[in-house]
Amino acid sequence: MLNLLAAERIKLFRSKKLYIVLGILFFLPIMQAVSFHFEVLNGKEPVQIIETVINGATAILMIKKNGLTILLVLSAFISFLIGEEFHNGTIRNALSLGRSRTHYYLSKLAVAASVSIVSVIGLTLIGMISYSIAFGFGGIAEITNYTSYAIKTFGTLTLLLLSSVSIYVMISFLTKNSSFSLIWSFLYTIATGFLPSLFQQTEHFKHMTNWFSQTFLFYWDFAQPATVAQYPEMILVSLITIVLSSAVGILLFSRSDVK
Amino acid sequence: MSETILKATNVSKIYGKHKVLDKVSIEIKRGMIYGLIGENGAGKSTFMRTIMGLITIDEGNIELLGETSMKGLQQARRKMGQSIETPALYPELTARQNLRVQAANGGVSERNIEELLHLMNLSHTNDKKAKNFSLGMRQRLAIASTLITNPEFLILDEPTNGLDPSGIVEMREIIQRLVTERGMTVLLSSHLLDELSQIATHYGILHDGKIINELSKEELARETRQFIELETNDAQKAVVILDQLGIKDYEVINGTEINIYEKLDDVAAINRALVAGDVDVSRIGTSRQKLEDYFLQVTGGIPHA
Repeated sequence: MLNLLAAERIKLFRSKKLYIVLGILFFLPIMQAVSFHFEVLNGKEPVQIIETVINGATAILMIKKNGLTILLVLSAFISFLIGEEFHNGTIRNALSLGRSRTHYYLSKLAVAASVSIVSVIGLTLIGMISYSIAFGFGGIAEITNYTSYAIKTFGTLTLLLLSSVSIYVMISFLTKNSSFSLIWSFLYTIATGFLPSLFQQTEHFKHMTNWFSQTFLFYWDFAQPATVAQYPEMILVSLITIVLSSAVGILLFSRSDVK
Repeated sequence: MSETILKATNVSKIYGKHKVLDKVSIEIKRGMIYGLIGENGAGKSTFMRTIMGLITIDEGNIELLGETSMKGLQQARRKMGQSIETPALYPELTARQNLRVQAANGGVSERNIEELLHLMNLSHTNDKKAKNFSLGMRQRLAIASTLITNPEFLILDEPTNGLDPSGIVEMREIIQRLVTERGMTVLLSSHLLDELSQIATHYGILHDGKIINELSKEELARETRQFIELETNDAQKAVVILDQLGIKDYEVINGTEINIYEKLDDVAAINRALVAGDVDVSRIGTSRQKLEDYFLQVTGGIPHA
């Protein structure tokens, strides 16, 4: 496993795709802060529930604010990260050396998760700095202990994001092709964005709404104390999603043929 | 030459209703260059993938370096190298970086990288990315990549595919050197018997997923070498004359046909001696079965000429 991670490190640091992902996600909050600054100067009212991020303190919610963008960027990165190994045949180089498929799968999951975590840490930090410069650090209404709130919120949002990352990794290993993976990951992201609202309209599937981690990411207001109280449920859903998707992914990948 | 490196017994692989491999059994001993020959789609690459554990088998057993258990096979595969079908490289990385990745995959030191680049004549590539390499360079880099873990057993699937004549000669020399200098055992495939015959010590002919013939270099040479084809009404009498002429290397095919493997330039003298000995000669002349004709004959591609 450590050997595979060492190989991944060499590949990753020379990957243009990594720098494109980091570039997009690090530049995004600066652009948003500048854009919002001009909107406010032109008379727009900064309302937290609408804008999500209105100052340095609320910038801890940058993952929530840019949920869809982050998911789409990461799904593309993961599709290429794994799909190209199949396309180039380089996956054979590691597997034919007797490396366990479970370890191979987990090493890719670890890389995808690491890149995701670094991306959102950068996104959030740059967001906090940018919004603090533009609007001051400020605070969040009804939140008294900001540090504790910030740690819990960032951790929960990251975990919700990682649950989707885990699904993208599974999709990439099952499709074994960058293009198909890209399409299926996109469809998954869009579907899980819309399905919960459809479920809400029905009596039978209403209870399923909260079994999609993206429901929380897209529809919950993380600046509300009531939402903070639901963090344990979100963490549970995320962990179950990660464990289940990884188990299914590893099982099917281990049984599949590598051409 | 006694230790068994690979022993495949009745290996079968089925895709849907199609049996891609049908009870394939081969045994490769240390030091062999085993040439697996078969037309496109015969199952060569599939068989190689089963050995490397890339695809599962539906029937049969594989023994690698004496190991047969799942874990044992995984351990044994760490002593193997493979280049199956297209060279599997990272196009955006340089030759050195590609080798570093494979060294990390194998958990071995990077200190052999420069030596391998030199061995494969790739030292000069410096910062050039693999995607800008010629096919020959990519093939050489793929082989260098397999060598980074210092394998005992090398599997090369059509290593000369797409190479120009000089590239083919170069590849052949590299494989020969790996065997003589590093003591490796090699399994390589091709759909060209003529090409394999220049390097392989043993052959397995794979046709429609079945091994239809296995033979050594000597046996193949014998099967395909030039000879005098003699057709007479009395082979027994002709044999006496041949003995009198001092000819020892001949083969009586049936009561009327004899293949003579020596004195190929003396057809006229042999004919005269037979006639003088009162043997009716219906036909006499030199003949040679080309390797490709032999391959087609055994695979049923064309009837025996």
